Amino acid sequence: MTEERRPFHFLTAFIVTGAGLYAFYRVHEALTPFLLAAAFAYVLNPLVSYFEARGLRRSHLVVAGYAGALALGLMAYAGLKSLIITEAELIQTRAPSYLAQMQKTAYAQQARLTKKLPLPPKISEQALESALGGAMGALQDLPARFLGLLPFLAHALLVPFIGFFFLLDAPDGVTAGIQILPSRYVEQAIHLLSEIDAALGNYLRGILIVAAAIAIASFLGLFAMGVDNAFVIALLSGASSFVPYLGAIVGALVGGGMAFYQFGTLSAALKVVALFVGIRLADEIFLQPVIARHSVHLHPTVFLLALVLGGEMFGFIGLVFAIPAACILKALIRVTWSWYSSERGLDAGAAAGAGIPFT
Amino acid sequence: MSALKTLKRWFVDPQFSRKKHFLRSLEIFKDLRDRELGYLVQSLHSRTYREGEVIFVEGDIGRALFVLESGAVELTRRGAGGKPASLHRLGPGDFFGEMALLESLPRTATATAVEKTHLHLLYKSKLDALLHAEPRIGVTIMSHLARLLSARLRRQNAGALSSKND
Repeated sequence: MTEERRPFHFLTAFIVTGAGLYAFYRVHEALTPFLLAAAFAYVLNPLVSYFEARGLRRSHLVVAGYAGALALGLMAYAGLKSLIITEAELIQTRAPSYLAQMQKTAYAQQARLTKKLPLPPKISEQALESALGGAMGALQDLPARFLGLLPFLAHALLVPFIGFFFLLDAPDGVTAGIQILPSRYVEQAIHLLSEIDAALGNYLRGILIVAAAIAIASFLGLFAMGVDNAFVIALLSGASSFVPYLGAIVGALVGGGMAFYQFGTLSAALKVVALFVGIRLADEIFLQPVIARHSVHLHPTVFLLALVLGGEMFGFIGLVFAIPAACILKALIRVTWSWYSSERGLDAGAAAGAGIPFT
Repeated sequence: MSALKTLKRWFVDPQFSRKKHFLRSLEIFKDLRDRELGYLVQSLHSRTYREGEVIFVEGDIGRALFVLESGAVELTRRGAGGKPASLHRLGPGDFFGEMALLESLPRTATATAVEKTHLHLLYKSKLDALLHAEPRIGVTIMSHLARLLSARLRRQNAGALSSKND
């Protein structure tokens, strides 16, 4: 390739990438189940690969895996059926009283706080009323918000269905992609794929382990403390863990609130908060070092920026995929730098001892 | 017994077994165990090149080893007048571009498919990953490359000595 043509190639690639990203942004809601399914298949792929390396057919392994997972799911449902029904009934019967009790406590605290705030009484009252009004409004909107999550429940069925095809045909798709690439770019494309795989794979698998660990530890802890709706709170906490750090916060808030209204003492709520602090610390000490060892390290500022931008642009799904997207971007920058430096001879250096005559 | 055989035939992937069998026949991979060959097959990327298609150009940065399964590849190098001179013709079972597994340096020759050719690519970062996850695979390949380098150096030294004596 001549040097004069190269800037045009870069410009074309830049424009095509930009247009692709814009198109993705416009239709991201429709693509959400496909994105989730791709992540689902990607996380499960090593399991299929493990048996595939022993010479077994991929198609048979995927079908057998799905049949096994369905059987396990049915068994788990049969085992937990009574617990799930009890918890659902408990939520249904007690939710209005919890809401009323929360409103009562909030308005009782409002009077106390109005006196304590170092502001003129009228201003304090107005400020607290607007803050409380907002919070109570949000609480009353909760059922509607839960209804808004129904499309996500539909995804719960759609994602494994689409994921099945991803798991089945992804390797053929990669091979087909490599086949249609111009031959001179095959090595670069595989380099990029390898780097993204190394960075992303460990992060996604790691976060899945963290979510499962937080859900199990929360359930066991809350169940041992006798907190109502332990299963639902643990599920909520585990699911929120897909957004970094959110799982323990959600668990502490919802679990602490539940314990406070169930037992009527602050110490019960504090015990639940302590449980989630313990879970978070255990995650930081035992799980994170193993996960971070092989995944791309992101500076905390980049980490936060990715979360803020992801949440702002794509909502909850943006929060879930913000860090993986940042990992891909970092891998892209690393690969670009590696190509640039090797093309320009910036990293070419003779190995130590190269000057010693061959003997 | 025949039911077990039928079940095995039904579950075992013939394409995967064929690839493993092919890799086992190569000098560089012959010491690997069955399971290790399975991991190696998963690390390889395959591509078919048309007749006359350039695989890489002299001066391009090398990042992968190429294993030739079928077809033929010609290695050429630009001469003094810029005209390409044929260096070597490779056939099924040969591999080339192996130095890219050690260092990402410019290719010293151009590789062109002279007929419809099927190649397997082992990329450097895949080998690095294998070195960590399955050290025996990486060590076997690296040890073979070291022997190959040593043999080439000795041959070059012997050539240099004989031309000096002449």
